[in-house]
Amino acid sequence: MGNKLGWIANVLKRIVPLLLVIFGSTLIVSLLLQLLPVGLKDLYVAPGDPASMKQQLKSLGLDGNAFTFYFHWLNDFVHGNFGYIIFPGGGREPVSNRLATALPISLRLVVYVQIVALLVSVPLGIFTAYRAGRRSDRAISYSLFAAASVPNFVFGLLLAIFVGVKLGWLPPLGYVSPSEGIVEHIKTMILPVLSLAIPTIATYSRLLRSDVIATLREDYVTMAASKGLSNRRILFTHVLRPSSTTLFTSAALNMGALIGGTLVIEQIFSIPGLGSEIGIAIFSRQFFALQSYIALIAVGYVLFNGIIDVILGFVDPRTRERRNA
Amino acid sequence: MRKLWSTFNLPTKISVFWVSLVFFFVLTGSFLPLPNPTEYDPDASGVGLFSAGHLLGTDINGYDLLSNVINGARISILIALVSVGIGGLIGSAIGIGSAYVRGKVDLAVNLFFNILLSIPNLVLGLALVAILATSVDPAIPIDPNRRVFIIIFSLTVVIIPILGRIARGATLSWVNREFIVAARSMGMKDRHIIFKHIVPNVLPAIYAVIFLAIGVVIVAEGALSLLGVGIIDGVSWGAMIGRVAGDFTYAPQSMYVPVIVLALTVIAFNQIGDHLRTQLDSREGKI
Repeated sequence: MGNKLGWIANVLKRIVPLLLVIFGSTLIVSLLLQLLPVGLKDLYVAPGDPASMKQQLKSLGLDGNAFTFYFHWLNDFVHGNFGYIIFPGGGREPVSNRLATALPISLRLVVYVQIVALLVSVPLGIFTAYRAGRRSDRAISYSLFAAASVPNFVFGLLLAIFVGVKLGWLPPLGYVSPSEGIVEHIKTMILPVLSLAIPTIATYSRLLRSDVIATLREDYVTMAASKGLSNRRILFTHVLRPSSTTLFTSAALNMGALIGGTLVIEQIFSIPGLGSEIGIAIFSRQFFALQSYIALIAVGYVLFNGIIDVILGFVDPRTRERRNA
Repeated sequence: MRKLWSTFNLPTKISVFWVSLVFFFVLTGSFLPLPNPTEYDPDASGVGLFSAGHLLGTDINGYDLLSNVINGARISILIALVSVGIGGLIGSAIGIGSAYVRGKVDLAVNLFFNILLSIPNLVLGLALVAILATSVDPAIPIDPNRRVFIIIFSLTVVIIPILGRIARGATLSWVNREFIVAARSMGMKDRHIIFKHIVPNVLPAIYAVIFLAIGVVIVAEGALSLLGVGIIDGVSWGAMIGRVAGDFTYAPQSMYVPVIVLALTVIAFNQIGDHLRTQLDSREGKI
C-alpha cells in the first residue's frame, strides 16, 4: 500500500543525490584534463596521414569538446573500459590490466587497516570512557589526540627506519602477495598497516569514547546497573550497540583520509598498489589512466558511504525512523 | 585576550608556544646566523645530531638540517596560511551566502560541496598539482616558484568545500533565530543582516576549523612531496622529506628532523583548534 511506495521514494531519495555526486565528481575529474598545459591531442595522437589521425582522435574521444570527451569516457567507464596507457610508439595497454593487479593490493591494505583499527579502538574507547577523568584516561586521551594529529606518512617513515632498517625486524619495503607466501605477506604488510592504523585507531577511539560517555549517562544504563548487571555486561551489550553507529559512520567517513593515506604509504613502502600506479601515471604523463584512477577512487568512496548509510539504517532503527519522518 | 589565555590548559599553552616559535622562525629565519640552507658543506655530509657547526646534523649531501628546517618553515607556513586564508574566505562567503538565500541556490551549492568532498582531499590536491604542474617539454621541469603557486592554488581548492560546508551549517543554525527574523521584519538590508548579525556568530565556528585546516594543508604539502609532485628543489619541510624519501638509511636524521618538526606543528595547530572548538561548544551550550 502506501508503505510500499514510501519505500521506493526512500530509495530514490537516497540514490538520486548519490548519482548526482558521482556524475559531478567524474565530470570534474574529466574537466581537469582540460587544464593541462599540453594538449591531449599533442600527447597521444601520433602524427600521420589525416585519416589515421582522425581515427585516433575518434577512438580517444578527442574529436569534440570537453563534454563529448567526458561522455565518451563515461560510456567506456560504465562498460568497464578504463581507457588506455599509450606508449610513445603508438602501442597501448588497457588500464584495466594495471587495475587488476594494483587495486586488490590497495583494497587489501585498506581492509586490514580498518579491521586492525576497529579491533583496537573498540576496547580502547570503552576503557577510556569507563575511566573518564581518571589519570589513566587522561594519559591515554592525550596520547590519542597527538596520534590522531600525526600524519600517517610520519609513522610510515619512522617505522620504516626504526623497525625496518635499524632493528631489521621487518622488511622496510616491498610487497609479497598472499599466494606467494602468507607469512611473508603478513611480514611485508605489518609496517604499512601500522602506519595507517595508528592515526585511525586514535580517531576512532576518541569518537567512541565521547559517545560512550554520553550513553553512560542515559537512564537505561542506570537502570541496568541498579538491576545488578555486571559492568562488563552493561558496557558490551547495552552501551556498545548504540555507540557503534557513530563508530561505523566515522569509519566510513574516514575512508577518504585512508585512501589518501594509502597512496602515500604505498610510495614509502614500495607497494605496487593503486598509489604506485597513480605515481607512475603522473610520472609518465598517462592522463587517461590518471583520470580513470581518480574517478574510480571518487566513485568507490561515494558508493561505500552510501552503502554504509543504508546498512546503518537497518542496524539502528532510530536513524531509519528519522529518515522516514 | 587575557580571558582566552586563562582558559588554556597545559597542552594548549605548549601548543601556542610552539606555534609562536614557528612563526618567529618564519619571520626571522633568513636573518638568523645559520648556514645557507641551499649550500652544502663538503666536509660534513650526513653527520649526526649535535655535530660541530651543525646542531641537527646534515643530510647525505651536506645540507644543514637546522637551517633547512627553520628556513623551510617559511614556505610551508606560507602555503598553509595563504591557501587556508583564501580558501576559507571563498568557502565561507559561498557557504554563508547560500545558507542565507536558501532554496535552489543552496541546493546547488550543497551539491557542489558534496561533489568536491567526494574526492578524498589529498587525491584532489594530487590530481590538481599533477595536471597543472605538467611541463610542456618533459625535459624541462617547471619553474619552482610556479610550482609553489600551483600547490597553493590546488590546496585552496581543497580547502574551499571543507570550510564552506562548516560556514553553511553554522549559518543555517542562526538564520532562523528570532533576532534575525526581527531584523528582517524591521526592514534591515540583507547585506547588513549578514555582516552585522550572521558573520559575527558564524566566525567562532570558522576560527576553530581554520586551525585544523592549516594542519591539513601542512600535511598535504608533505604528502605531495612524497608522491613526487611537491616542492623538490626548494626549501620547505615537504622538500626536505621528498628529497630523502627514497633513501634515508645513510643519514636517518635527514628524514626524522623534518618529519618530527612537521608532526609537532600539526599537533599544535590541531590542539589549538580543538580547544577553540570545545570553548565554542560550551558557549553554545550556555545559550
